[in-house]
Amino acid sequence: MTGSKESFISNFKAPENSRGLRSQGDQYLVDLPVPGRRSERWKYSPISKLLNTSLNTCSGEGVVWPEEILPDPVPFLDSYRLVFRNGHYVSSLSDMPIDDDVICMPLSEVGAEFTNDYHKREWVGAMNAAYHQDGLFLKVSKNVSLDRPVVIHHLTDGADIAALPRHYIELEEGAGAEVVVWSSASEKSSGMCNGILEANVSSNAYLRVDKICNEAGEIFKFSHEYIKQERDSRVKINTFTIKGHWVRNELEIVANGPGTDSTFNGAYLPTGTEHVDNHTVMDHAYPNGTSSELYRGIMYDKSTGVFNGKVFVRKDAQQTNAFQQNSNIVADKGATINAKPELEIYADDVKCSHGCTVGQFDKEALFYLKSRGIGSDEAKALLVKAYVGDVISSVDREEVRNEILRLYSERHGWA
Amino acid sequence: MLKIKNLHAQVGDTQILQGLNLEVGPGEVHAIMGPNGSGKSTLASVLSGRESYEVTDGSVDFDGVDLLEMDASDRAREGLFLAFQYPVEIPGVSNMNFMKAAINGKRAHQGLDPIKGTDFLQKVKDCASLVELDGRLRDRSVNEGFSGGEKKRNEIFQMAMLEPKLAVLDETDSGLDIDALRVVSQGVNAMRNSDRSFIVITHYQRLLDHIVPDYVHVLSEGKIVKSGGKELALELEEKGYDWI
Ligand SMILES: Nc1ncnc2c1ncn2[C@@H]1O[C@H](COP(=O)(O)OP(=O)(O)OP(=O)(O)O)[C@@H](O)[C@H]1O
Ligand SMILES: [Mg+2]
Repeated sequence: MTGSKESFISNFKAPENSRGLRSQGDQYLVDLPVPGRRSERWKYSPISKLLNTSLNTCSGEGVVWPEEILPDPVPFLDSYRLVFRNGHYVSSLSDMPIDDDVICMPLSEVGAEFTNDYHKREWVGAMNAAYHQDGLFLKVSKNVSLDRPVVIHHLTDGADIAALPRHYIELEEGAGAEVVVWSSASEKSSGMCNGILEANVSSNAYLRVDKICNEAGEIFKFSHEYIKQERDSRVKINTFTIKGHWVRNELEIVANGPGTDSTFNGAYLPTGTEHVDNHTVMDHAYPNGTSSELYRGIMYDKSTGVFNGKVFVRKDAQQTNAFQQNSNIVADKGATINAKPELEIYADDVKCSHGCTVGQFDKEALFYLKSRGIGSDEAKALLVKAYVGDVISSVDREEVRNEILRLYSERHGWA
Repeated sequence: MLKIKNLHAQVGDTQILQGLNLEVGPGEVHAIMGPNGSGKSTLASVLSGRESYEVTDGSVDFDGVDLLEMDASDRAREGLFLAFQYPVEIPGVSNMNFMKAAINGKRAHQGLDPIKGTDFLQKVKDCASLVELDGRLRDRSVNEGFSGGEKKRNEIFQMAMLEPKLAVLDETDSGLDIDALRVVSQGVNAMRNSDRSFIVITHYQRLLDHIVPDYVHVLSEGKIVKSGGKELALELEEKGYDWI
């Protein structure tokens, strides 16, 4: 019988490591409900189609890397690189830092402590806990900044694949790291990529993550980031959905000490019948924190989208400064977006602002451009590029920025 | 150059232009004056192809082509330019990319290759100096944060860059200080030649002291109700519109 939650995972095989976590995962897979329309969190991102398929976790053996995809997704970036295919580490294509102050290795060789309870809250999280294959383990010692960014490249490749990567980053006090989390999928692939990234950012440390989804094929992509920040730490996360059949980005940032700074931005420009969902949570529980969130989307054709941005400012989080902005352009009649900001503010001495808009192209601006002899499509491209450019410009590394811009340009015919 | 015959246009259900006739020959400067709300900007919008305006009757011939058949981009590529009464701010699009796209749009239409980088920069330099447009303004986003006067200068800068056959200037003088008015007018005058025509929409004689028109028309309730030489503007300045 297909369509039941038991049948969906019946062909999955779990590796031997991390027994404790996996058995918890198994338990919660039984206890937790499958995401469905009745749940507020999943209402606009149903997965019944996925549940009706029968997927396989595959072994890491006999890897053939497809020719059309570069193992190194940002070729000009001077970086370390960890490459994964269908959840499994591909050592021959990877290049890891060797440094006394840095531990960087496949997670399967470490067995890390996770503090996240996502697997106790969400069925999808329990699945990752029970069946994850491999991922990055990165630990940077006190007051050390990693000299180059780490690129994690995950490829989903093949039919009916269940890939479940799991990454863990630990930054000690005053440490720093930049990570690019890149996911691709080959043209004929199908199935699911269910990934988790957890990071603990100690006091005064900084973490920057640029997350890019550029997947061909028909993959259901779940991706959950859980970032815990201690006192005076800084975090910046950019999430770009360039291409993807069905993409759910979840980002949860918990400020676990005073004086934290969190910046997180995102852009999505789905076409055809693509689906993109961005769920973000910013949780301020301590005083003097700042957070700034900017998500912009353009919905083309018959695409569907979701934005849900929760900001909690808890009772003791005085002098919090929280900014949230989500704007959406619905470019074509058949496209839809469900956008919902949710602010819960329990402290009184705070500065919080938010804005959420859903609209069309600025007609006045379009006419102005056209009245100078710029064709309709090019005029739109100029406006779109400017609109998304505000998000792209928050990527610190020029090489990454340019690659994102190049891929968007190629896809959307920007000059 | 331009032959407007019996032009009727409406927005929604409101008829605004109601049988407008106007002929502009090559090299001529026509001033259009008239009370607020009489339809001057509407005429400019209809000529340049703004979509919200519906032409219900009449014709516009532009140098042998049917203007009303073309969309806004093609009208511009054929040599029509509108200096907006209220120029639009476009954050994130640089003035330079904007102008490059515009020039290349026109060049492609004419079957020409894109303009060379050095030629483009030279042109920018020449045109900016024509209207004394500050270098910093050239590099910023289109009109973003420009003062009212700076926006108007930028309109004339764009006109100079695009070298139109016919330019419609909609209240380009409003918001300009005395010096800017002189500079902008000089820019326009420098572009006057025997092939290029202008329609100058204004409320004030002071602009016409600088840009001396060949003809002056009064637009009222969607029609040209009086036409004359440049002395008509002086008369209007003195007596207002009631006597017409
Ligand atoms: N988009 C529109 N929707 C509704 N009414 C409009 C629209 N555009 C113009 N109108 C109306 O049409 C009439 C003519 O407007 P227009 O802007 O052409 O006048 P104008 O002669 O340029 O006036 P001014 O001297 O104040 O610039 C006005 O009554 C105006 O309210
Ligand atoms: Mg007007």
